[in-house]
Amino acid sequence: MYNIWNNILASIEQKVTSDKFALYFKDTSLLSNESGHIIIGVKNAFFKKQLSSKFYGIIEEAIKNNGINPIDISFEIQTDIKNKVRPREVIASTPTLVKDIKKSTRLSNTSHNLKPDYTLENFIVGSNNDLAVAAAKSIIDAPGKRFNPFFLYGGSGLGKTHLIQAIGNALLKNKPELKILYIPTSDFYNDFIVSVRTGKGDEFHKKFQKLDCLILDDFQTIIGKEKSQDEFFSIFNNLYQLNKQIIVASDRLPNQIETLDPRLASRLAQGGAYDLQLPKFEDRCAILRAKADLAGAEIEDKAIEYIAENVNTNIRELEGELSKILLMSEVRGITPLELINSGSTSISKPSHYHTVTSKQIIDKVSKYYNITSKELCSKSRVFNIKNARQVAMYLLTTELSLSTTNAANEVGLKDHTTAMHAIKKINSDIKLDFTLREQIEEIKGQLYAA
Amino acid sequence: MEIEVSQEKLSKALNNVSRIAVGKTALPILSNVLIRVEKKKVSLVTTNLDMAVVDFLPVSASKDGVITIPAKLLAEYISTLPKGETIKLVAKDSKVTISAGKYSSTINGSLADDFPELPEINEKEAVVFKMGIDEFKNSINQVVIASSTDLTRPALTGVYFNTYDKILAIATTDGYRLAEKKLIKNVQSEIEVIVPTNSLQEVLRAIDENMEEIEMSFNNDLVRFRLGEIEIISKIIDASFPDYKKLIPKDNNIKLTLDKEELIRDTKLAALFARRSAGGSIVLEAKKPNTFSIRSVANELGENDSIIETKVEEEGKINLNSRFLLDALNVIEEKEVNLEFANRINPIILTNKKSSDYTHIIMPLNS
Repeated sequence: MYNIWNNILASIEQKVTSDKFALYFKDTSLLSNESGHIIIGVKNAFFKKQLSSKFYGIIEEAIKNNGINPIDISFEIQTDIKNKVRPREVIASTPTLVKDIKKSTRLSNTSHNLKPDYTLENFIVGSNNDLAVAAAKSIIDAPGKRFNPFFLYGGSGLGKTHLIQAIGNALLKNKPELKILYIPTSDFYNDFIVSVRTGKGDEFHKKFQKLDCLILDDFQTIIGKEKSQDEFFSIFNNLYQLNKQIIVASDRLPNQIETLDPRLASRLAQGGAYDLQLPKFEDRCAILRAKADLAGAEIEDKAIEYIAENVNTNIRELEGELSKILLMSEVRGITPLELINSGSTSISKPSHYHTVTSKQIIDKVSKYYNITSKELCSKSRVFNIKNARQVAMYLLTTELSLSTTNAANEVGLKDHTTAMHAIKKINSDIKLDFTLREQIEEIKGQLYAA
Repeated sequence: MEIEVSQEKLSKALNNVSRIAVGKTALPILSNVLIRVEKKKVSLVTTNLDMAVVDFLPVSASKDGVITIPAKLLAEYISTLPKGETIKLVAKDSKVTISAGKYSSTINGSLADDFPELPEINEKEAVVFKMGIDEFKNSINQVVIASSTDLTRPALTGVYFNTYDKILAIATTDGYRLAEKKLIKNVQSEIEVIVPTNSLQEVLRAIDENMEEIEMSFNNDLVRFRLGEIEIISKIIDASFPDYKKLIPKDNNIKLTLDKEELIRDTKLAALFARRSAGGSIVLEAKKPNTFSIRSVANELGENDSIIETKVEEEGKINLNSRFLLDALNVIEEKEVNLEFANRINPIILTNKKSSDYTHIIMPLNS
C-alpha cells in the first residue's frame, strides 16, 4: 500500500511546484484504498482543507495514473504519527520519491539505517585495526561508558563504515529496544537545512536527543557547514551528558578538519581517536583469504599473495581486484594463479619494490617538498627542510631497510641518533597525522611509478 | 478590490493578523495577508497552516475583490502613517495602491489563488461555550505556565479542555508540574480536546479592553475562538492527554495557609542563593507548633533562611524548584494561598485559600 502511495506522490510531484509539494504532501500517507475508497492521512484540518479543495483534482488524476479507479477520496487527520503505522522505511528506500519527502521522513524514521551485512564477525582484524576493534568491542559491552565519543578515522576504503555499522548492529542485537541511528554527515546537514527551512529545527533537535546511540559517518564533509556544526555540537553535548554513545567516523582527525570549532574538535577526541590503517601484507592476505572463502571460491595462496602485494591502496580496491580475478578465472575456466601468470589482469605488472635507490628517495622527497636535494642533505634547521629530511630518513629505513647509521649518512648527517629520533618521530606522527600519512603514501606512489 | 478605512482601525486589524505571518514561512504566500471584500464585508486573513487569524474590518466604503499583500510590510506601513487619516486601498491585478492624504504608495502583492483556503467549523456538530473574556484570559494565563515545549510529546504542548462532573476544565502539564483551572460550571456538552498553547497565546494577544465575551467552538479536528471582530481558528492536537486527575495526591497531610506576598518574597530570597545549584532547589519545612521556613540548599554562595509564623499541625519538609514555585505563586489570585504536602514524597499542591477553581501541583526534587 505504501509503495502505491509513493508512486502516486511521484506523479503528484510532477504537477505541483516543489515548495508546495514539500509543504502539503510531506506528511501524507495512504491509510486505505479498499475497493476504491481512498483514505489519505494528513497533518491537520488546514492541510485537509487544502488537499481536498485545491489539490483534489491532481490527487485524483495521480491515483488514476497509478491504475486505481477511485470511487471516492477522503482525508483523515493523523498528527500523532509516531503512534501510528507509517510508511517511513518504505518511503526512504523508494527511489522514485523526491528528496524532500525522503529527508523529512528519514528524520523521524524509527529505523536505524544500519545494513545488517556489516557485522563484527565478518570484519577482519589485523594489526592495522586491532585497537579500533578492541575499542568497538568494549563499546558493545558497555555503550556510553569508556569510549565515548568513539572517533574513528582512516583513509577511504579501509572499513570505517563497516566497523561503525557493525557496532550499531551488535548493540541492536544485544538490546533491540535501543534507539540507534546511523546517518552520513551529508544527510545530517541536509536534514538540518530542511528542518530549519520548514521551521522544524526544534523537532530535528528532539529527534536526535532521543537516541541512545548516534553514528555519524564521513564527518569530514561538515567542513564549512557552521550552523550544522553548531547543531551537532549541541546534540553532541546533550547526548554526551546523558551518557549516550556517540560514534563518529571521518577520513581525518578532528583537529585536521578545517573550520571545525576547536572546542568541538577537542570534545570529539576526548574518548580517544582510533584509526584504521592500511593493512600490512599479511593482513591483506588474510582479508583476501576470508573474502574468497566467503564467496566460496578456490584460489591459490600464491595468487592471494600476488594480489596482496600489488594492491596496496585500500581494502575496497583489494576486494574489487579479488572479485574481478575470481570472476575472470571462472569465465575463462582457469585458476586465478594461471590467470595472473597469463598476464591478462590489470595488476599484472611487476613490482618495483627492489629497484628503488637511496638517491631516488632523496630526489623524490626533496622534489615533493619543493626543495633541492642539496638543501635536504644540508644541516639546515628550517622547518620544512628538516621535515623533508626526516621523511627521507624514514623512507630510507622502511623502503630500503637501511640501518639508521646508513640512513643518516645518506642525508649528510654524522650522528645516527638524529636519524633514530627522526624515524621514531615520523613513526609516531604518522599514526595521528593524516596529512603526513597521505604525503608519505604519495611519495611512495611516485617512487614506484617512476 | 477597494476599501476606505480609518488608519487606526486598519492598523489595529493588521497588527492582530500579521503576527503569525512574519518570519520564515514554508511558502512565500503564507507571509501575506489576504484581504477579501464580499458584499461590503471586509476580512483580513493570515494563516501558518496550524492556525489562522481572521479580522472583520468595519469600513466606510468598499468594492468587492480579493488580493494578498506582504503582511509585515503593510502593517508597518499603515502603522507609520499619521493617525486620523482615511486610507484608501485599491487593488489592480496583483498591485495594491494605498493613498492617505498626501501619502501614496504601491505594494506588490500576489493573486489569492495560491492562498490556502481555511477549514470551517461545522456549526451543527460544534460544541460551543461562551464566557467572559477577562476570566478567560486570567484562566489561560494560569495554566499555560505549566505547558511543555517538548515537541516529542505533542500532547503536553497544548492546553487540555475537558469536561467532568458538568465542569469544563483546562489543564496543562510538562511532567514536572501540573495546572488545572475550572473554567465553566454546569456545562451540558462533553469535550476532550487539546488546543495548542501557541494558538491560545495568539488568542490572548488579540484580546483588547473593549471585548467582553469569547465564544469557543470545538469540532473534532478544529477549534474556533471568536472575540470582538476577530476569529482565530486552530488545529487540535491529535494525541491523548494523560489522566491528570490521578496525579493530584489525595493524602497530603501537611496543610498550611500562608500570605502569598510574603511567601513570594521569601522564595525569591532563597532562589537567589539556589540559582547556581542544580535546579534552583530550595527547601520548605514545617515545624510544630508554628514555624514554616524556606531556605536555600547550602552552596558556594552562602545560605539563606526565612521564617514565616503559621499554625503547623504536621511536620515535614520538601525540596522544590524555586522557579516553578514562583511561577505558580505569581498566578494565584487570592492573597492567601494553601500549601499541601507530605514529607518529601508527594507533589506539593497549591490552591487559593477560598476558591477551589485553581489547582497547581509541583513534583518535589530529590534532596
